[in-house]
Amino acid sequence: MEAGSILRPISWPPKRPLRRLLPSFVRASSDDLQSGGYRGLKPKRDWISEWVSNNDDTVRSLPIYVGGISLLAVLFNRSVSGIAPVADASSSQSRADLLTLGLAVTNVLTGLVWLSIRPKSISVVIPQGVECQRICPDLPDTLISELLWFWETLSVVTCCRSLVIVYQSSCLLQIGVAAECSTNGGDAVIVDAKKLMQGSLYQGVMKSGAQSYLANLSLYPGRSELPFLPSNTQAVILQPLGDKGIAIIGGDTVRGFTNADQAWITLIAEKLDATLSKFANNLKLAVQG
Amino acid sequence: MRSLYLNPFIQLRLPLQFRAFRDSCSSSHSYICKCNRRIRKFGSISARLNNSEETKQQQQQLNLSVLRFTLGIPGFDESILPRWIGYGFGSLLLLNHFVGSNSTITPAQLSSEALGLSLAAFSIALPYLGKFLKGMTPMDQSTLPDGNVQIFVMSENLSDTQKEDLAWGTYILLRNTNTISVLISIQDALCVRGYWNTPEDVSKASIIDWFKRQIDQLGLSDLKDTLYFPQSPDSGLWVMLPKGTRSLLVQPVLRAPNSSANETKEIEGLVMLASSMSYAYSNKDRAWIAAVANKFRGENTCTYF
Repeated sequence: MEAGSILRPISWPPKRPLRRLLPSFVRASSDDLQSGGYRGLKPKRDWISEWVSNNDDTVRSLPIYVGGISLLAVLFNRSVSGIAPVADASSSQSRADLLTLGLAVTNVLTGLVWLSIRPKSISVVIPQGVECQRICPDLPDTLISELLWFWETLSVVTCCRSLVIVYQSSCLLQIGVAAECSTNGGDAVIVDAKKLMQGSLYQGVMKSGAQSYLANLSLYPGRSELPFLPSNTQAVILQPLGDKGIAIIGGDTVRGFTNADQAWITLIAEKLDATLSKFANNLKLAVQG
Repeated sequence: MRSLYLNPFIQLRLPLQFRAFRDSCSSSHSYICKCNRRIRKFGSISARLNNSEETKQQQQQLNLSVLRFTLGIPGFDESILPRWIGYGFGSLLLLNHFVGSNSTITPAQLSSEALGLSLAAFSIALPYLGKFLKGMTPMDQSTLPDGNVQIFVMSENLSDTQKEDLAWGTYILLRNTNTISVLISIQDALCVRGYWNTPEDVSKASIIDWFKRQIDQLGLSDLKDTLYFPQSPDSGLWVMLPKGTRSLLVQPVLRAPNSSANETKEIEGLVMLASSMSYAYSNKDRAWIAAVANKFRGENTCTYF
């Protein structure tokens, strides 16, 4: 039984990129706080944190320049003072210079370490496909709400752009960007749940019972088992929903899902599985009907 | 699974201390480290400017991984090493100035010492600045402060589904964040879990009412914006917070924008998280916490409340 189109419009808050959410998290407007009735102190703006975040490259290089300039300054000071440039710790001047050189080298090395662990930003790839909103009809409202909350969460917080949920041999939800059907232009490719379940990706996930993260989907031959995802989907998480279903989460960035995302998705999937199990009988009727 | 959510004594997530450069490289994060590339020559080091120059810069980038090292001390965080070096060398500079000088201190020496002390101060500040760089994960280890009691209480007269949702919500927040205390208040339902500083004279039966009074006194029920105190909120004001709280996040639960016009109240409740770490909640953490809070909205989610 394939998922039908939704019978009622699904409206949810428009997807907001994580970046736009950030200012409201960090800043607390005193006007809003006062009008809202809150009577406590408001958090102070963290200028240093914001400055460092906004000038990441500069801050990473800063210790190198500070250390390098200090190093030159010590040598210059020594030469101008007429002191012989020897590594001699017998005089207090030399000891002070050596300690200062040690600190300068420490700063330079710290800057080099910061540069060496600079994150590599990977560009987002806009998925090629059509917008899709398919949900199995006649599902209970509470279940629909939970499924849509799951989608909203993934699409706002992570790089997820496509979501498919298959449970008890049926596709319950296909939402986001999907591959365009070649025969029926403009429509999304329908999820063949039975074929998916016979594939190696599904079998492997069900056998292990653990989440499978395909960080760079183009490297995996099993990609062909997911024809409903946009052809340029960059990363995929295959999350088992108990032993009866799977959530297929497609992202637009190679290695776009972080360790934290994976952990959250695993725990949320457990809740989703519990909810789906509760409505298992209703699901059977909805799918057959 | 239900028993796991309702288990009052769940193991809190305590991030292990680890070496920043190694672990940030070993994660499957999209921001991968530049590792294992051959050294070609030591040229000038330039910061990445924009994506269009990425290819060119990749060819010029150096393998700096050889500079990373570890002292091999288990549990020791090497990212704070510059701070200790700053303290040590700065102390030696002062010692050299007051004790090590046999004759009159020359201007050159004073210049060196001033420069050295400035560098020491900068070195001490470096780990603090490094905390806010992209890709860095919190280095502090969350601790369970003494003098707090672990509790797990819910309002009475809740349905099984409501209890399950609240138990799951508190469970997932405690498991996946650096949180030691969580409170979820949705309309008349309240769930408190984790380590809290409750008065000894408050009975278990009235503890829920006590928390509600604290929330009302602060006016948190009317909070519309997210509150995040990354460092030591005023403990005198927040009486209910556990001792040793160093980060506090209050996430309001607002009604979905497309809700029916019959409901006039916009604010559904709040989710409060406390941690014994400073800067405990990254941007990503706060986004996930907001998503979990949205789970308890009316209309758009399970309408249990």
